[in-house]
Amino acid sequence: MIPDTQMLRKNVWSGLGVTLVTCWLLAWLIPRYGGSGMAFGMHPQRLATLGAWVMLLCAIALTLVSFIQLRKQRVTLFASPSLAVIWHQLWPFLYVLLFIVLAIYLPLTWLAPFIVGALVMLLGERRWYVVALAAAVPTAALYLLTVHLMRIGVV
Amino acid sequence: MLELSAITSAFGDALTLHSIGVIFGGVLLGYLVGVIPGLNRSVAIAIAIPLTFYMSAYAAIAFLIGLSKGTAAGSAVSAILLNTPGEPSSAATCLDGYPMAKNGQPRKALKVGLLASVIGDLLSTLLLIVVVIPFASIALKFGPYELAAILIFALVFIAGMAGGSFLKGMAAGGMGVILGTVGLDPETGAMRFTFGYAELMEGVPILPLVIGTLALSEMFVQLDEYRRSKDGSSIRLTNNPDDNLSYSEFKRTLPTIFKSTGIGAFVGALPGLGPSVGSFMAYGLAKRSAKDPDSFGKGNPNGIAAAEAADNAVIPASYIPLFGLGIPGSVSAALLVGAFMIHGIQVGPLMLRDHPQMLFTIFAGMIVASLIMLAIGWYGLRLFAKVTSVPQNIVIPVVIFLCLAGIQVQGYGTFGLLTVFGFAIFGYFLKKFDYSFVTFLVAFIVTPMLEMNLRQSVILSGGEISILLQRPIALFFVVATGLLVLHLLWSSYREYRNRRSLSSP
Repeated sequence: MIPDTQMLRKNVWSGLGVTLVTCWLLAWLIPRYGGSGMAFGMHPQRLATLGAWVMLLCAIALTLVSFIQLRKQRVTLFASPSLAVIWHQLWPFLYVLLFIVLAIYLPLTWLAPFIVGALVMLLGERRWYVVALAAAVPTAALYLLTVHLMRIGVV
Repeated sequence: MLELSAITSAFGDALTLHSIGVIFGGVLLGYLVGVIPGLNRSVAIAIAIPLTFYMSAYAAIAFLIGLSKGTAAGSAVSAILLNTPGEPSSAATCLDGYPMAKNGQPRKALKVGLLASVIGDLLSTLLLIVVVIPFASIALKFGPYELAAILIFALVFIAGMAGGSFLKGMAAGGMGVILGTVGLDPETGAMRFTFGYAELMEGVPILPLVIGTLALSEMFVQLDEYRRSKDGSSIRLTNNPDDNLSYSEFKRTLPTIFKSTGIGAFVGALPGLGPSVGSFMAYGLAKRSAKDPDSFGKGNPNGIAAAEAADNAVIPASYIPLFGLGIPGSVSAALLVGAFMIHGIQVGPLMLRDHPQMLFTIFAGMIVASLIMLAIGWYGLRLFAKVTSVPQNIVIPVVIFLCLAGIQVQGYGTFGLLTVFGFAIFGYFLKKFDYSFVTFLVAFIVTPMLEMNLRQSVILSGGEISILLQRPIALFFVVATGLLVLHLLWSSYREYRNRRSLSSP
C-alpha cells in the first residue's frame, strides 16, 4: 500500500459528501432560502448558485479521480475505524456540547471551573493544585472581565 | 502626495504610552502563544478578537498585528528548544535550531533566530509601507470590472497555491462564497439563508465563524493528536560561556538574513502561499548557496537565520494585497479584515482615501511592534524557555474555555455558542480532510465585495461581455484566471502521472 492511500480514500468520501451536500443546496436550499425578488443585473441567488456549482464540479472531479486511483491500486474503499477511535474523536465534541447546553441555563462564570478543571483531569492531570489553578485563573479572568464590562455598561 | 506632517503625526500617535502599551501587550501575548506548541497564530488572533471589541479601532488593529508578529517570533523558541515548531512555518527552524541547542548553544540559537526575525520583519514592514501607498493609489482608479476580475483571480490563485489539492481548494472557496452571501441582499433587500434568525440578517457573524473554524476546531484536532503524541523534554538554558552570540558570528548571518527577507517578502506578497513556503524556500536557497551545505541540518546558524527571517518577512508583506487591494492573502490577514469590519472600517485602497491617518499610524505601529519584539525576545529568553514546558493537557482546556467565553462576553448568547460549535465541526472536517482553510476564509470575507463589484459590472455593461475589450486590466485578469485554472489542472494531472510512474514496479 502506498502512503497516500488513506488520503485518496478520504478524498473519495469527502468528495462524495460534498457532492451530496451541494446537490441538496442546488436542488432545495438555494432556490427556497437563497432570496427572491426583482433584481437589476444579478439575482440574489446568483452568486450562491455559482459557488455551489464550483463546489459540485470540483467535488465530482475529486471523487472520480481519487476513486480511479484507488481502483488502480486495488485498494478497498472502506477502512472502518474501530469504535475506540470513533469514541476518542467524538467525546471532545460531546463534552463541549454538554457545557454549551448547560450554559443556556447557568452563567458561564459558574460553569467555567468545571469546563476547564474536568477536562484537565480527563486529560490525565492528577495534581490537585495544578487542576485548581488551571480552573481558577481563567474563571477569575472571565469574572473580572465581566465585572469590568458591566461597570462600563456594555453587558 | 504623502506629507511629512502625516508621517510625523502617525509616529506621534504610535509612540503614545497607550499605543506602546497595547502593542507591547499584543507582542507579549503573541510571543507566549507562539512559544506554546500547538497554539498557532490563527488560534491566537481568533481568541484575541473579542478582547479588542472595546478598544479603539487603531488600538485593536495594533494589538492584533503585534500579536501576529509575536507568534511568528515566539514559535522559534519551541522549535529550537523542543524540536516542536510552535507554528508550522517554524518547522524549517527546527532543522538547525534543535541540533545547535543540543550541541550546547541554545542561547546562541535563540538569539540568531530572534535577530533574524526582527530584521526580516522590520525590512518587510518598510517594504510594505513603500509599496502599498502607490499600489493603493493605482487601485483607487480601478472600477468594478477590474476589482471583480482581480478578486476572482485572487481566489483561484489562493485555491491553487494554498497547498493541497486544487480541487479541494476550489470546493472550499465555493463554500466560503455561499456562506458569504448569507444575510440581507444589499440591492433587493431579500433575506438569504437567514431561516428567520435576526442574528443572520447582517451575514454569518464573523466572530463565531473564526473562533469555531480556527480555534475550537484546532483544539479538537489537538485533542485527537494528544492521544498519540509523547511529551518532549525542553532543552534548558545554561550559563555556558560559549553560548553567547558574538558580533562577528551575527555579522556572518547578515547576508543570509537579507536574502531570506527578500524571499519571504516576495512569497508574502503573493496571496495564499503563506510563511511555511517562504521559510522552506529561504532555507533551501541558503543551503544551496552555502560554501558548506553539509553543515546544514547539524546546527548551522545560517539555517536558523534563513528560516526565521523569511518566516517573519512573510507577515508584513502579506498585508500588501490587503491594504493595496482589500484582498487578504493569508488567514491572519483575513482575520484582520474581520477586526476592521467589527470596527466599521473597510480595509483596502479606500483606507488611503477615507482613513489615511489611521493607515499611517498602523504602519508606524508595525515598526514599533518590531522593536518591541526585539526587546521582549531579548530580555524574555529565560521566561519563554520555561513556557515551552507548559503541558498540552492544560493548554487545550483553557483555550476551549476561552473560545466559549469570547462568544458569551460579546453577547452572542446561545445562538453564538451553537454557531461556534457548528463551525468547529465544520473546521474539524476541513482540517481532517485537508480542504484549504485559507481559501474558505478569504472567499467568505471577500464575497460581499465580489458580489457588489460583479453586480455593478453586470448593470454597467448591460450584460455585454464585449465591454471587457475596453477594459484591458479586467480582460488581462479574466484571461489570467482562465490560464491559471488550466495550468493548475495540468499540474495536478502531471503530479498524478509522476506518482503513478513512481508507484508502479
